[in-house]
Amino acid sequence: MGQLRVLWQIALRNLFASKINVIIGFIILGGTFLVVLGGSMLDSMDAAMSRSIIGSVAGHIQVYSSQSKEALALFGNMGGEAEISALDDFSKVKKTLETVPNVERVVPMGINAALVQSGNTIDLTLGELRGVLNHLRDEGESPERREKAESLKAHVRQQVEVLKADIAKARLISKASAEDAEDAAVIERVSSEAFWKEFETRPFDQMEYLENRLAPMVSDADLLYLRYAGTDLKAFQKNFDRMRIVDGAPVPDGERGFLFAKLFYEETLKLKSARRLDKIKEARDIKSKRIATDDELKRWVKENSTQTREFLLQLDGIKTRELVARLQKHLGSKETELSALLGSFFTTTDENFDARYAFFYEQVAPLLQLYRVRVGDTLSIQAFTKTGYMQSVNLKVYGTFMFEGLEKSDMAGGLNLMDLVSFRELYGYLTAEKKAEIAELKKKSGSREIAREGAEDALFGEDAKVVEASATPGLIDDSASFGDTAQALRNKELASRVYSQDEIDQGVVLSAAVMLKDPTRIQETIAEIHAAAERDKVPLKAVSWQEASGLIGQFVLMAKLILYFAVFVIFIVALVIINNAMMMATLRRVHEIGTMRAIGAQRAFVLSLVLMETVVLGLLFGGLGMLFGSGLVGWLHSVGIPAGNDALLFFFSGPRLFPSLTVGNLVAAFVIVMLVSAISTLYPALIATRVSPLRAMQAEE
Amino acid sequence: MDPIVSIRNVTKDYTLGKTVVSALRGVNLEVHKGDFISIAGPSGSGKTTLLNLIGCVDTATGGLVQVVGQSTGQLTERQLTDLRLHAIGFIFQSFNLVSVLSVFQNVEFPLLLQRKWTAAERRKRVDELLTQVGLQSHAKHRPNELSGGQRQRVAIARALVTQPQLVLADEPTANLDSVTGQNIIDLMKDLNKQQGTTFIFSTHDPKVMSHANAVVRIEDGQIKDRISAAEATLAVAAGH
Ligand SMILES: Nc1ncnc2c1ncn2[C@@H]1O[C@H](COP(=O)(O)OP(=O)(O)OP(=O)(O)O)[C@@H](O)[C@H]1O
Ligand SMILES: [Mg+2]
Repeated sequence: MGQLRVLWQIALRNLFASKINVIIGFIILGGTFLVVLGGSMLDSMDAAMSRSIIGSVAGHIQVYSSQSKEALALFGNMGGEAEISALDDFSKVKKTLETVPNVERVVPMGINAALVQSGNTIDLTLGELRGVLNHLRDEGESPERREKAESLKAHVRQQVEVLKADIAKARLISKASAEDAEDAAVIERVSSEAFWKEFETRPFDQMEYLENRLAPMVSDADLLYLRYAGTDLKAFQKNFDRMRIVDGAPVPDGERGFLFAKLFYEETLKLKSARRLDKIKEARDIKSKRIATDDELKRWVKENSTQTREFLLQLDGIKTRELVARLQKHLGSKETELSALLGSFFTTTDENFDARYAFFYEQVAPLLQLYRVRVGDTLSIQAFTKTGYMQSVNLKVYGTFMFEGLEKSDMAGGLNLMDLVSFRELYGYLTAEKKAEIAELKKKSGSREIAREGAEDALFGEDAKVVEASATPGLIDDSASFGDTAQALRNKELASRVYSQDEIDQGVVLSAAVMLKDPTRIQETIAEIHAAAERDKVPLKAVSWQEASGLIGQFVLMAKLILYFAVFVIFIVALVIINNAMMMATLRRVHEIGTMRAIGAQRAFVLSLVLMETVVLGLLFGGLGMLFGSGLVGWLHSVGIPAGNDALLFFFSGPRLFPSLTVGNLVAAFVIVMLVSAISTLYPALIATRVSPLRAMQAEE
Repeated sequence: MDPIVSIRNVTKDYTLGKTVVSALRGVNLEVHKGDFISIAGPSGSGKTTLLNLIGCVDTATGGLVQVVGQSTGQLTERQLTDLRLHAIGFIFQSFNLVSVLSVFQNVEFPLLLQRKWTAAERRKRVDELLTQVGLQSHAKHRPNELSGGQRQRVAIARALVTQPQLVLADEPTANLDSVTGQNIIDLMKDLNKQQGTTFIFSTHDPKVMSHANAVVRIEDGQIKDRISAAEATLAVAAGH
């Protein structure tokens, strides 16, 4: 006891006797501080990300067909969608999964990608015009309809003028090619009075010419690449607490419908100028960037001030005049040309940006169609079926949603949602009613081979014959445009049809999310699921959410590895420094150690002497480090760490991370620090025990 | 009566690379309880080497070294340390106090190593010794707050606190002025007389030698003779 006391006292007094010890002390202090802070940040990040990923699409476990060629990747792979085999009947899968005691709920899923023709501005205007013309033809004249038709006609003519100006401008820059000449001829024709006079008498012929010749000249129509998950929307919303409807409303239970991911909706479907304004605002408000100093913001401002054509095309005559008036007033300008006004309006600076942003949304946006597809619109989605056919489904867009915490992630924020029945159709799986429909048609007119292109006509045309696409019996091609009434009626009927839970459950899915009662037992439950699948002869493979989320899941792991590696490197460095410092301290003390040995101290005593010093250093400075670390974490917990960039937004799973401290973090920090100090002192301690008592007799250096 | 130290035909070689230095060449010496012996000789003659062998901090190359009845050549490192702790006290030329410990704690240190004393016993014993060396009022001081002579007195107290049978001192006065050196030797002599503790010390100083019962003269690693202090003083005066 007395010996321990004297060891303790020597250690304590030696603490401040040499500068070396203080240096070592500060390394230990810094190390503990970092471990406490880093550990708590890492754990909090991990918890936040797990919550986001589990609570968005992954669930705790994902199951998919064990016959799949590739591993499931919910958020996509670098090279597109993973090749996953289908599970033929979800209800069977569900039954099997529900025999596993730890399984709470199962949500069916299928992820696929499709192309969507978003339609250009002229297309949209022409489409509207055709709708009104159809009404006029079918339901007769009315003053409102007539006025609407005239306004739309005027809008088309204005768009023609914009195109005409474009072509004239292009002529100035380069010599016209044959193609340009052809375009010019079309423009010439549709801008002539004669064309529009003829329109009065033969509107549908003229419409066809406009649709076939004029619309393709405008290149702003993109084919959107759309990733979507087909799922039991009702179950999905109930089970994934991170999902939140942003605009519109959820798809009514059992009905077909589509929900856009908010990020995707903003990035790809919003008017580009408006989107750029949003981004500039965000960069200024959240990241404290300035237009004057940031190159990217400057570029956006430039693009906004030069790319105003979309406005000219979108606005009809009345709205153009209205916008000109509003802009003149806001800018205090006498300019009458809309493009020039827009150009100077969008030339924003840090001083006027906020005012113009507000003005844009208050005064300009209401005149425009801000999104190419609006909530309530019908979206025509085309996808290649499993067997390579183009399949098309028309779906009502009910709204937009986001996964909280992943709202800024391109990967997760690009996953849209649709009902499972539509997914199956796009996937190339026939619904019961489609099967029946085909069977009926076959019976009526006797089976006959028809070309794929004719299938649609055959199915839904007036003179319906027989359907049987040559390559894959039972699969049909919906790619032909939906024009006629019979089809429109069918679509309407389909869109409002309510499907029963059995209809949703019985059918193909690609995977299923499994929610657990006890989320800590993921690995055991995976084994149980495999056993159950084997027993029921269902080809199931179960993977943890980390594995299923592919790259994103790996990001978490990677971040952890990087941080652990950094900590490891820091401690290796600390180890080397402490080791060297301790070595120096020991060498300085050989005379004293020799004296103790001569007086009768055993080697063990010398060993404990050196180790005790490390312990005292570790306790004191490690304790201080923990204190400072916990203090900082505590403070950060109350104010939150703002996510400065998009990568951090993703890792923080939100705009701010509120790190919290666990006893585990402190214990880990303490153990690591003590271990590192002990290891780094081992060699110096060993050297100390080897000091000969003869050193006491020699003069002190 | 058995001698406390008995040395027979002892040799000690130091190997430095390829050359071998013979520091002691066949030394014979007996020291008895209560002796107050000075070892004298020119620089490099082997005084320190001999004291190290007696003090069990080093072992002989050849011959027999017996200290308090134990042959040091047959003991393990651990046993040698234990022997030093219990049977021998050391007084060093440069005092060798533990600088971070107080005077009291320095003197208490060997008692702590012995692990057989209660705190009260330790306190009593240390107080006694500090009184004997006249430093009871300095118990709480740190070594760097003391003069050289005071430090050496602390060292003497530390060497004697365990009541060793033998105290070794290698040139205990070399770092002190002659008056202080005299005082230190007087103190050692007093303790030798009062408690019968055996002292062996080396010195160059004839005045210091003069206090010894006997002076062992050593030259070139061999014992030249063993004479009385008076003879030694005469010999130094005669220039031998
Ligand atoms: N550790 C050593 N390694 C090599 N040679 C040594 C060592 N210690 C002593 N010697 C040699 O042994 C011989 C005796 O040395 P020792 O220190 O015993 O002499 P000394 O009588 O104490 O001298 P001084 O009066 O100078 O202290 C000397 O020649 C010395 O060089
Ligand atoms: Mg010497």
